[in-house]
Amino acid sequence: MTTYTICVFTENTFGILNKITTILTRRRINIESLTVSETERKGISRFTIVIHHDSREAVEKLVRQIRKVIEVLAVFGYLNEDIAFNEIALFKIPTPIDAKPIDIETINKVHKAWVVYWHLNYVIIQKTGSEEEIFEFFDYIKPHGILEFVRSGRVAVSKSPQTLVDYLPEANWEYIQ
Amino acid sequence: MEFNEKQTAVAEMDPQAVASTTPELINGSHAVIQALIHEGVETIFGYPGGAIMPVYDAIYDYQDRVNHILVRHEQGASHAAEGFARTTGKVGVCLATSGPGATNLVTGIADAIIDSTPMVCIVGQVAASLLGTDAFQETDIIGITIPITKWNYQITRADEIPEIMAKAFYIAKSGRPGPVLIDITKNAQNELLSKPFNYKKCEKLLSYHPRLAPKADQIQVAAKLINEAKKPFLFFGHGVNIAKAEEELLQFIEKTDVPAASTLLGLSSVSVDHPNYVGWLGMHGNYGTNVLTNQCDVIIAVGMRFDDRVTGDLSRYARQAKVVHIEIDPAEINKIMKTEAPVVGDAKIVLQQLLPLVNKNDHSEWRSEFKKYEQEEFEKITTPELSGDTEKIKMAEVIRKLSDKTNGEAIMVADVGQHQMMTARYYQFKKANSFITSGGLGTMGYALPAAFGAKVGAPDREVVAIIGDGCFQMTLQELGTIAQSGLPVKIIILNNNYLGMVRQWQQLFFEKRYSFVELQNPDFITIAKGFGIDGHTCANREDLQASIDTMIASDKPYLLEVLVEKEENVFPMVPTGASVSEIRLE
Repeated sequence: MTTYTICVFTENTFGILNKITTILTRRRINIESLTVSETERKGISRFTIVIHHDSREAVEKLVRQIRKVIEVLAVFGYLNEDIAFNEIALFKIPTPIDAKPIDIETINKVHKAWVVYWHLNYVIIQKTGSEEEIFEFFDYIKPHGILEFVRSGRVAVSKSPQTLVDYLPEANWEYIQ
Repeated sequence: MEFNEKQTAVAEMDPQAVASTTPELINGSHAVIQALIHEGVETIFGYPGGAIMPVYDAIYDYQDRVNHILVRHEQGASHAAEGFARTTGKVGVCLATSGPGATNLVTGIADAIIDSTPMVCIVGQVAASLLGTDAFQETDIIGITIPITKWNYQITRADEIPEIMAKAFYIAKSGRPGPVLIDITKNAQNELLSKPFNYKKCEKLLSYHPRLAPKADQIQVAAKLINEAKKPFLFFGHGVNIAKAEEELLQFIEKTDVPAASTLLGLSSVSVDHPNYVGWLGMHGNYGTNVLTNQCDVIIAVGMRFDDRVTGDLSRYARQAKVVHIEIDPAEINKIMKTEAPVVGDAKIVLQQLLPLVNKNDHSEWRSEFKKYEQEEFEKITTPELSGDTEKIKMAEVIRKLSDKTNGEAIMVADVGQHQMMTARYYQFKKANSFITSGGLGTMGYALPAAFGAKVGAPDREVVAIIGDGCFQMTLQELGTIAQSGLPVKIIILNNNYLGMVRQWQQLFFEKRYSFVELQNPDFITIAKGFGIDGHTCANREDLQASIDTMIASDKPYLLEVLVEKEENVFPMVPTGASVSEIRLE
C-alpha cells in the first residue's frame, strides 16, 4: 500500500465535503485523514485527503472523478516525496502526586513537544511532526498513561513552485485578509 | 416570533398580493418561471404538491408561454423529460414537490446521468426555517441526489434564483450533458427578490470548463495511429448524437473507409444502408462486430465509454488493438480501456479537425471480413427469426414489419429487455436521432413516458414505443398523460406473459429454474380503453400487417398488443464473463 495525499481546491459552499467523500465511498476507498480549511484566497477551500492504495491507476481515476464535481477547481494527487507535510497531535497525560514526574526537558529538546495546558491532575502536550514522529512520542509518553490522544490529520503543501493561481490564471483572486 | 409566522402564512396564501404592491419586484416563483422562459424552455413535465405550490401558482400566469404537462407520477415526468431532451437536444425540465415528489424523480435522474441526458429538475422544499426538523414532506433530496446529478443546489433565498437557474442550465447542457437538481425552499418561492429580476445566461464558470476543442498534439497522435492502421475499426456511441456529429462521422468513415459499428445508444447515427456500417456491438450485438473486435489493430472510439455490456470480459477484450479514444469527459479516458491516443473534446469538433489529417484509404478487404460473419448470422439467426414459420408471432417479425412500414424513419423508443434488444437488432434505422432507450441504467418502465416526451419534442415525427408486458406495468399510468395531451404516440406491447430477458437468463444459466418471471397480465386493451386510448390485440400472423397499418394510420394515441412466442431467446449473445469472441449464436 502506498500513501497518497490528494489536495482538492474547491469553492467554499455547502455540501462539497459530501460531494467528494461520496466518490471515495462508492469506490470503497477509506479516508486515513482529512483536513479542510480556507486557503489564502477568499472563498476557496482546500481539502487534504490521505488515502492508502496499492494501485496508482485507481488513484489517478479517483482524482479525475473528483475533478468532475462542479465546485472543484483543481485536484492534485501526491506521493509523500512530492510534498512538505505535517500533523499536530495533542496528548492529555495524567500527573498524580505520587507518580514519576514528566521529563519536560526531554519532551522539549528530544521530542520537540510542548506543554500547552497545565492542570493540577494532568497536562496537555502538543506534538507537531510526521505520523512516525508522533507515534515515537506516543511510545515515549505511554508509560505515564494517556488520558486522551488526538491527531489532526495531515496538512500538506506541494514542493512544486507552481501554485493554484498558475493553474487557474483567469480567476480574480483576493487574499482572505 | 408568532407575529413572523403569521406574516409568512399570509405570504404563502397569496404571493400575488404581495407582488402587486411593488410591481417591479417579483417573487421567487415568478423568477423561476421567468428564468425558464429566458432559457427558451417551452415545455415542463411536472406534478404539483405542497412545497411547490407557489411555483404552480406562478405557472398559472404563464400558460400562454410555457406548456406544463401534468404527468401521473413524477418518475413519468423524469423519463418524459429525458425523451424530450434526447429528441430535441434541449434541456428537459421537470417540476415536482418535496419529499416523495422529489424521490420519485430519482430513478429518472439516475438514468439521465448514466446516459448523459441534459435535464433540470426543480423541486420544492420545506421552508428554510424548517430544514432539518423532519417537517411534513421534508427529504434531504440534495443528499440523496449527490451521486446521481451532475450538479445540485439548494436555494433558500429568492435572490439566488436567477443566477442559480442560469448555472443549472449551463451545467446541464454543456460538456458531457447530465441532470441538475435545484431544490427551492418554500420561503424562497414566496419572498420577493430584493431587486428587479435581471437574467444573465451563464456561459462560463471558474471551476468548470468542459474542453470542446481538442489539443493539437492529441489530434496528431490520433491521426498517425489511424493512418498507420491495417485493420482499423470505428466504434461510435451516444456522444455522436449528443454532439450532432453525424455528418462529420459520415465524412470521416467515407474518407478513411473504416468499418463502423454502433453501441446501443449510437444506433441510428449511421444508416444501416451505409456500406461501411457493420452492425452494433456488445452482449446482443452482431456476430462479426464482436468477433472482429478481437482482430482489429486500431479501435477508433467516438463518444462511447466501453460499457461492460460492450466489452464482455475486459481481460480478453481487444488486447491486440491500440485505442484512439475521442471523448468529451476526461474521466472516461483510461477508465476502462488503456488508451494510446486520447483525444478529449466534442465529437463534432474533433472529427472536423481530424478529417484533413487522415488519409483517404481503401479498407475494402478488411471490411469484407465482416461479410462472412454477417452471412452466418443471417443464416443462423436473422432468417429463422423472420421466417414466420412458428406457430406464434416472433418479436423480430413485428419490429421488421414496423421498420418496413415506417421506412426505418420513425423514432423508436424501446423499454428494457428482450424487446429492446429485438428493436435494436431488427429495426433498420435510416434516419439519425431515432433511437431512444435506457442504455446505462436499464430502467424498466422508461419507454412509455420517454416516448411521450419524444413526441412532445418531435411532434412531426412518428414515435413508436416498443414495450414488454412487464415494463408496461411499471409506468402504465402515463397512458393518462398521453390521453390528456391527445398526442398520437404509438405503443406496441410485445406480450409473452414473461419477464423475458430474466427468463432467458434463467433458461441459459440457471437450469431453467423459472423463478418469478411468469406474469398474469391484465387485459391491456381494456386498460387503454379505460384511459380513452384505442387499441387492438393481434394474435395471428395474418393480422399483423393490418394491425400495424391501422396503428400507424391513426392520428390519435394507439396501443397495439401483439401476442408473441412465449419462450424465445435473443441471440447472438455474449454471456456475462465471456469474451466478445465467444459470442453465442444459439
